[in-house]
This record gives sequence, structure tokens and C-alpha cells, in this order.
Amino acid sequence: MKKLIVLSVSFLLVFSFFASCRKKVEETPPPPPQVKEQPKVEKVEKPPAKEPELSEEEIFEQKTLEEINAEQPMEMIYFDFDKYFIREDAKSILRNNAQWLKKWDSIKILIEGHCDERGTEEYNLALGEKRAKSTRDYLISLGISPDRMSIISYGKSQPLDPGHNEIAWQKNRRAEFTIIEK
Amino acid sequence: MKKTIPVSAVFLALFLITNTLIPQQEVVMRIREGMPIIPVAIPEFLTQNNSPDQASAASTLREVIISDLEYSRVFKPLPEDYYQYIDPLNLEDINFKKWESIEAKLLLSGQVSENRDGSLIFEAKTYDVKSARFIKGKKYQSDPSLLRLVGHKISNEFMKIYGEPPIFTTKIVFVSNRNGNDELYMMDYDGYNQTRLTFNKTRDYMPAWSTDGKTIAYTAYNNQNAALYLFNPFEGTRTLVTDHGTSFGADFSFDGKKMAFCSTEDESNSEIYISDTNGKNIRRLTFNNAIDTAPSWSPNNREIAFTSDRLGSPQIYIMDAEGANIRRRSFGGNYHDAPAWAPTGDRIIYVSRVAAVFDLYVLNLRTDRIIKLTEGYSRNESPSWSPDGRHIVFSSNRTGTIHIYTIDYDGTNLRRLTSRGENKLPNWSRK
Repeated sequence: MKKLIVLSVSFLLVFSFFASCRKKVEETPPPPPQVKEQPKVEKVEKPPAKEPELSEEEIFEQKTLEEINAEQPMEMIYFDFDKYFIREDAKSILRNNAQWLKKWDSIKILIEGHCDERGTEEYNLALGEKRAKSTRDYLISLGISPDRMSIISYGKSQPLDPGHNEIAWQKNRRAEFTIIEK
Repeated sequence: MKKTIPVSAVFLALFLITNTLIPQQEVVMRIREGMPIIPVAIPEFLTQNNSPDQASAASTLREVIISDLEYSRVFKPLPEDYYQYIDPLNLEDINFKKWESIEAKLLLSGQVSENRDGSLIFEAKTYDVKSARFIKGKKYQSDPSLLRLVGHKISNEFMKIYGEPPIFTTKIVFVSNRNGNDELYMMDYDGYNQTRLTFNKTRDYMPAWSTDGKTIAYTAYNNQNAALYLFNPFEGTRTLVTDHGTSFGADFSFDGKKMAFCSTEDESNSEIYISDTNGKNIRRLTFNNAIDTAPSWSPNNREIAFTSDRLGSPQIYIMDAEGANIRRRSFGGNYHDAPAWAPTGDRIIYVSRVAAVFDLYVLNLRTDRIIKLTEGYSRNESPSWSPDGRHIVFSSNRTGTIHIYTIDYDGTNLRRLTSRGENKLPNWSRK
């Protein structure tokens, strides 16, 4: 308590010293700007409706085929030049795809086989079909029913990348998955 | 526009005449080697009066005929400046000696006159100069909008005089994306009158003319399949052949009785099938796990050339039309496809891939000699023969965009026929 008194007295002394040094003329501060009182607007809102907890199944049920396909739930796989066997990197993708197909077991898919521009039209159409077929066969080996999968070949008529280099060609040698029924 | 045609061109034409009276088909071969190109005088066409309509019709008609006959590799229109050395043609009194003096072997005269209803009448007459003899004449009545067709018909008659198959009214069907989507189009052999045939939202693919030139077999992509259809563009009718699997690559036999095509309907693997030309009685010809594709009939209707990768890489094979007796016909490369049997029977054209370049090669089946037809660091593919076996239509991306070209059997006379969009998969009608 003593300390406090000493502190406040010394503070007062210092302050009064500075105050005495200031001009004696007191300046009236400008009046504070008049603030018009705004009527408070009360927002009338619907009481926050409780979002019904949709199950994953129900969300899935509500989506259209286009919406599901836009999400590309099944990743496409790529092939080697002139080849149609399933590459090692494609196998893990197909395992994921098979899992997804097992989870959504009402889904039916179309497997599209595509080729790059370095094959002839005629042979490519047959090769694209082979790529789609080996993709389907691999999914069958993972336990997916063949009834759920149909296949089609587009040959080289639908490139994903219009370029003329190895990067584009690799992108175009692919099997894509489209959901056609759920 | 002058095209140089080597006067000493060597022709090897083989004609197959099938005698329908004898059950066992007899093949008659007429071989002509070193056939000279026949010079034809085609002086300015005459008009009834000098009305601008008639004059312009006469000059267009003459241009069409000259262009046709220059393309023929059989006839050679005289150079324009030769005509200044002799008097103009007087049909009442033809001085054949004068025409012979400017090296004409044949003389083709044309006259344009007007009908009472305003339509034009065209008359063409052919004379043999040496024997000073009238050979043949024909009159055509037509609307001026069909002038080019009249010209092609006159040129056809000219070809028939020499027993040559008339090719100038044939059509080329092809796929183009010039209006956004891959649709079927057709055009005259010379690229004129490009007409759109299909109007779908989906992709149309690999058209092939039927033997009579009335129907087109093609593949239409629907949402989930690529079905083979028979389409009559003149009547707008369409019938389904098969919509199981992916079906494509039709080719009609020369006798107009059968159609060969590819389908994956049985084992999701492209195999070759044949059917009647109405698409009925489908029968499978090839049975294996390899790709079999691109069938092409032999002109005697007994054999089919096709592509197969049964030995690891795509190669050209020939089999009997029943599917037996399969033998390999391409060697020395690791990628051969799209065989097309020449209507003359003696040659097969195909595509060979070396690195990423496709070129057209012609295999002579009798001598086993191979001629490389195209050269260029591009993809030349989908060859199809003209009915006389002297020209080939194909697609090439040599300009950076895929367009349709024709080239002669010996690699000369390259012509580009299309200019808008991408244009591919041409097929030359047989009639």
C-alpha cells in the first residue's frame, strides 16, 4: 500500500510539472460529430434448419449419372505403345476401381478403349477394343461380374490430348470408365 | 492448268470378265502393256447463238471434260496452243487431215443450244481422225446447275469407247468434322459437290460404298455401342446390320452379293464376318485370339485380304472367302494394315508404318514386287481404289491437318480434294 501511495504521489508531481509547462489556454475540443441513431434492424431469419444427416448412400442416390461421371470415381488407366496388356501401375488403379464397384454394386459401367494417333484407323479400332477387353478381364479377375461391364472401342478418334508428342500419345492410350447405370 | 502426263507411261491393265452362264467362273484376262496415251482434240465448243449463258456453259463444260480426260491416264487433251495452227472446227465439213496435222487421234466436238423451256441441250460427238469417221454422239438436256455432271457423263462415254470403266461420275464418301462432329460426306471424284449426308449428334465412322453405289455401310456410335448400318443417302433410309460389340470396316464383294466386315460381338475381339449385302445371314470367318480386321474382297469374289496380328504384329493376309487357306502376304516390316485389293486383281495397296510415319505401298501379287507410293513425314492411310484401278484416294496429315487426296497408281498426280476441317476414311464408289 505504501508503495502505491509513493508511486501515485510521484506520478502526480511529474504530471503537474509537465502540465505547468503547457500553455495555459485551454482549447475546446471540437464537438463530437452527431451520430444519427440508426434504428436497429432485426434480421428475421428462419431458425437454422437442421441439415438432415444424409448417409453416403442417400447422397449417391440423389446424384445423376452425369454428376457421378463428372467426379470420375474410377480413374482411367494407360497402356504401352501398340500393347493392350494391363501395366503394373494400372493394376493398383484397377484394384481401387474394383473396390469402388464392389461398394456400389448396382452400378454398371462402359469401358472405353482408346489409342494414340500412331496406329492406323482400322487396326486401332481393333486395338482399342482389346484394351477395353483386357481391362474388363482384369476387373472380372478381381471379382466384378461381367454383366456389369460393357466395352467399346473408339480407336484414335477421341484423343484426350490433341498434341503430337509422347506425353500426348501416352495420355491417349487409355481405357476410360463411364457409369451408365446405377 | 496443265498437267504433265508421261507419254511413255506403261499400263498394265487386267480386266476380269465373269461369264455368268458357266457355273465355274472363267476369268478372261486382257493385258495391255505400253499402251500409248491417246491425244484428243477438244476444240472450243460451239454455241447456237452467242448468248452469255450458252458461252459460259460451253466453256465450263469443255473445262470439265478436259480435266476429266487429263486425269484418265488414257487420253491426253491437246495443248491449247495447237488449235491456233488450224481453222476452227466446222461440223458441216470437218477437214480431218488438218486435225491429224496437229497430232489429234480423236476429235471431240461439243455444241450448246437452248430448248424452248430455257433448259440447255448439250451435244457431244466423237470422231476418229485417221479414218475420218464419226464414232459416237449423244445429246443431253439439263439444268445449267448440273453442267459438271453432264461433262462427266460425256467423259464417261469417251472412256467407254475404249472399253475403259467410266469413273467420272463416281463418288467418294468420307468422314469430316468440318461442322463440329464426325459426319459422313460425299463428293465427286474430283472434289467438287461436297455434300453432307448425316446429321447426328454422335460420331459416324468408316463408310464404304456398296457395289451398286446406292448404299453406304458405316459405323454409328451410339452411347454404348458402335453399330453397323446400311444407309441409302439418296432415299434417306437406314437399316441396322448389328449392334452387338463394335462393328466396322465393311467391304462389298465385286459381284454385289456379299459384305465382309469386322465385329467384336462374339469375344470382344475383332473378327471378320460376312453377310448378304442386306446385312442378313451373318457368318463368322476368323476364329482366334488375335486381331483380325480390315477385310477387302478380291475382284473375283473368291478371296479376302485382311490384317491380322496373329504372329505378334499387324500383317496382311489373304484367305478364301470361306475363311480357309490363310496365308501371309506382307513381310519386311512390323506394321502393315488397311489392305485394299485393286479392281484389276493383280495388286493390293496397304499402309506400312515405319517409325511414326505411314506410307502407302502397292504389292504386285504376281511378281511380289512392292512400290512405295507416298513419301513424306506424315501419316498416309485408308487407301481406296478408283473403279479402273488407276487412282487411289487416301487421307494424309502432310499439311498438319488430315485431308483427302488422290494419287495415281504410279505415285504421280497427287491432288488434294478437301480444305475445311479434318477429313478422313475416304471410300471410292465402284459405280
